[in-house]
Amino acid sequence: MVRFLVRRISLIVVTLLVVSLAIFLVTEVLPGDVASMILGQGATPSNLAAVREQLGLDRPAPARYLSWIANAAQGDLGDSYVQRRPIVDIVKGRLGNSLILAGFAFLMAVPTAILLGVWAGIKRDSLGDQVISIGSLVAISLPEFVTGVLLMVVFASTLHWLPSSSVLLPGTTPLDRPQILILPALTLTGVLLAYVMRMTRANVIEVMQSHYVRTAILKGLPMRRVIFRHVLPNALLPTISIVAMNVGWMLGGLIIVENVFSYPGIGRLLLTSIQGRDVPLLQAVALLIAATYAVSNLLADLSYSILNPRIRLS
Amino acid sequence: MTTTQTNNAPLMEVENLSVTFFTPAGAVRAVRDVSLQVQRNEVLGIVGESGCGKSTVGYAMMGYLPGTTRLGGSIRFEGQDITNISATELRKLRGNTIGMVYQDPTTSLNPVMRVGPQVEEVLRQHTRLSREQARNRTAELFESVGLAGPRRIGRRYPHELSGGQQQRGLIAMALACDPHLLIMDEPTTGLDVTTEATILDLILDLKDRVNAGIILITHNLGVVARGADRVAVMYAGHVVEQGPVRTIFKNPRHPYTAGLISCVPQPVTHEGEDHVLRNIPGSVYSAQEETKDACLFASRCPMATAQCTASAPPVVDAGDGHLSKCFYWEQVNSDVWSAAETTQSQAKDPNAAPILTVKGLHHFYGTPRRRFVFFGPIVGRPVRAVVNVDLAVKPGQTLGVVGESGSGKTTLARNVVGLIHRTSGDIKLQGEDLGPGVEDRAKGQRSAIRMVFQNPTSSLNPKLPVSHALMRPLKKFQGLKGPEARERAAALLQAVGLEPGHLDRLPGELSGGQQQRVALAATFAGKADLIVADEAVSALDVSVQAQVLNLLKQHQQEAGTSYIFISHDLGVVRYVSDDILVMYAGHVAESGPRNSVLRPPSHPYTEALLSAAPAPDPDAVPTRIRLPGTVPTLRQAFTGCFFAGRCPRKVGDICDTTPPPAQQGPDAPSHVIYCHIPAEQLKELQLQRSNGKQDEVSISA
Ligand code: SF4
Ligand code: SF4
Repeated sequence: MVRFLVRRISLIVVTLLVVSLAIFLVTEVLPGDVASMILGQGATPSNLAAVREQLGLDRPAPARYLSWIANAAQGDLGDSYVQRRPIVDIVKGRLGNSLILAGFAFLMAVPTAILLGVWAGIKRDSLGDQVISIGSLVAISLPEFVTGVLLMVVFASTLHWLPSSSVLLPGTTPLDRPQILILPALTLTGVLLAYVMRMTRANVIEVMQSHYVRTAILKGLPMRRVIFRHVLPNALLPTISIVAMNVGWMLGGLIIVENVFSYPGIGRLLLTSIQGRDVPLLQAVALLIAATYAVSNLLADLSYSILNPRIRLS
Repeated sequence: MTTTQTNNAPLMEVENLSVTFFTPAGAVRAVRDVSLQVQRNEVLGIVGESGCGKSTVGYAMMGYLPGTTRLGGSIRFEGQDITNISATELRKLRGNTIGMVYQDPTTSLNPVMRVGPQVEEVLRQHTRLSREQARNRTAELFESVGLAGPRRIGRRYPHELSGGQQQRGLIAMALACDPHLLIMDEPTTGLDVTTEATILDLILDLKDRVNAGIILITHNLGVVARGADRVAVMYAGHVVEQGPVRTIFKNPRHPYTAGLISCVPQPVTHEGEDHVLRNIPGSVYSAQEETKDACLFASRCPMATAQCTASAPPVVDAGDGHLSKCFYWEQVNSDVWSAAETTQSQAKDPNAAPILTVKGLHHFYGTPRRRFVFFGPIVGRPVRAVVNVDLAVKPGQTLGVVGESGSGKTTLARNVVGLIHRTSGDIKLQGEDLGPGVEDRAKGQRSAIRMVFQNPTSSLNPKLPVSHALMRPLKKFQGLKGPEARERAAALLQAVGLEPGHLDRLPGELSGGQQQRVALAATFAGKADLIVADEAVSALDVSVQAQVLNLLKQHQQEAGTSYIFISHDLGVVRYVSDDILVMYAGHVAESGPRNSVLRPPSHPYTEALLSAAPAPDPDAVPTRIRLPGTVPTLRQAFTGCFFAGRCPRKVGDICDTTPPPAQQGPDAPSHVIYCHIPAEQLKELQLQRSNGKQDEVSISA
């Protein structure tokens, strides 16, 4: 177990190094010059040079990469060019907001998906199952920006039940106005919910036909116990990996949803930093997203192995 | 005298049961008309070939028939009609007064739950035991089914147990609430022969210990012969014959029963003349077919008359509760399937120059790996599959290779055919070296060796008609042209007992037995000199198995082909082989002419195998040499004898430290036994045992 952790964590470190290099190279070739962005149209060449020197942009790329990585490893992500304050401070609040949104969506989607999936699997081919199955197919095929806009049109513009934009006043958190979370979370939930549900349903159906469930039924156990003790533990095991895989998916969805609803999270920050040529910020956010992805995968593997006695980590 | 009254009422009484499943592919009439009874303290064996409905009868008694089903007749258990009770009532019976044991223990246990709680759960459901009491009772149960270290076993997950241990666990589960009826559905099928023997011993031991009726459902006549008091023989959803076990085996009153019995190769210990296996032509009446007002066996029955196709025969009592569903039950005798023929053993030359020789064959899977690719300690070692095997196959003769799973027999076959590359050793065909892989061999060498697999579907293309499988080798190896090849293919099909009409069918439209015969015909078409058959008959029903075995023998006599015949079933190997090679854990334990191998002196492992196979004869006296534990894994390395871990005759430290020498048997120079015990002494020990056996008989008689 310890060996597994050491190996996986070092693997994550290597991955992040590679990712950071890729991010750095991409931002290197990004069009536009930071200094002229900062100084605006009327900047003189000497002013530009001064700004570049101040930002350290005159040093060769490898040196800049190394100092960036070295600082990042110590938790110093540098300063934002545009906002002129430490990136760590900017990112902290935004990351919190994103986690709240993602967590909210996750809590809405996963239990519902599992409940519906289990129910549909047990009541296979019933009317309810068919409705759920078709609904989930529709949900899977709609991308977030479509569902987001649709939801916005229906619940905000037409029904006026919920705010259409999720902007926050400075100094407040989404928890002060939870209603702004609902639409973005619903949008984010759609695909995840449908996907997890379909997988759960398929697994439940497969497990229900297994010999060990037959054994459980022929032990004379009540159906409830058969389902909770024998069907679910087996059917939900693969669901864990599906959910974990979807965490990565959700990160992608988060970027779109936050922008559709102008929600002040990390995804919105990513876009702002691109638009503002705020290279250090962009780099930091991209690296953060990659790290979240890697860690969530590790957590998924860990929980899978803890729940599945047939897998021994080594 | 009320007790006698209750004793007389049957524990389980099934009357005119019919079960039809409605599937997307059509109605399946699994059970058409079954009536039977079981009393307490009685073992009823239900035998029949696949698709006869025997398992469905078992599950119907549990009230478990999933899917869309139509049920007719009644199933009365202790006076309650199971077909007609509420789900709650049913739950009170299942696992409580009726226990069940399943065919495949590995898939029948919940993989993510420890074994102990899986048994405790039954106790907690049906009794008032506390958690603690249930745990103690489970340990007792495990102990009673021969699981050593019951508490430790209870904390294991199913995948940490061997197949035999899993089956013991399931038996313990079925026994948990002292059931009145125990239904066992193929409880020993799929286990290794030596494990099967120990599980069968356990079942027989239960018979005396528990005060329950037992229903033993199996396709294995040897298992019923050893275990059952009464037998019901099923065919096409009917019980065609029913009666006390000795009567059924010695004096069958239905042609199907008589046929089944004569399909099974004689017990391996049988001495003297061998009989040609009789076989039942055609294949089992399909459950997809309608029930007709006729005898459903008529199309395969040698005694059928016009009456048999005009009306269904009634069930008649031949006396003493011996029931038969045949018009002509009085005329049934052992010769209805043609008179007994002894195998004409054409004088085969035991000293003929071999067509194939294998010397010092080793096969290891995997390559050595180091921790840091190029340096560091070795972390992955190759695992042994075959170690130092020598063999010779003589022209027109058969070498039988026998061993349990993990013995390396399939690896051996694949090396000979060239499907995998040997690690070292020589293989020579007609004195010429054979390259390691098929691609290294000359064209003539390639076509000289053909392989038949256990699963015929793997050698037949499901999308192409049967004619393709047959005509391709005819064109490729015999240079025949279109119409000519087709004619020859039709003739081949007839030779394997199929119709020329089958040429245009797809493999999927044929039954498993028919597919295997097509695969054989295709192999014969290639005019190979050597056919390697790997478990080629293991998946077949006995009646079909007999057809295929006879076909192989007949082809050998006509074409002079040599065979390497691989099987875990010593009875079958004995029937077809001239020489036998016994393998264990990748090593040769013993090899030599058939009779020398099967008679004392034998290697202790051969001796155990011989004693493990249940004979299809209720009078056979079981010999009790049982192997504890399981076949060692491929990773296990041996410092001494490969069999030392399980050998019942182990002589001491030498077995653990020194690999056994090859010693020659006394009767034939080619008879080799790998054991530290001198052959003479082995012979004495083994003869002593069989004499001891005689004594047992006289005591019990
Ligand atoms: S009734 Fe006729 S066809 Fe059926 S088993 Fe008897 S003799 Fe054969
Ligand atoms: S050498 Fe020893 S362990 Fe091996 S078979 Fe002979 S007696 Fe048994």
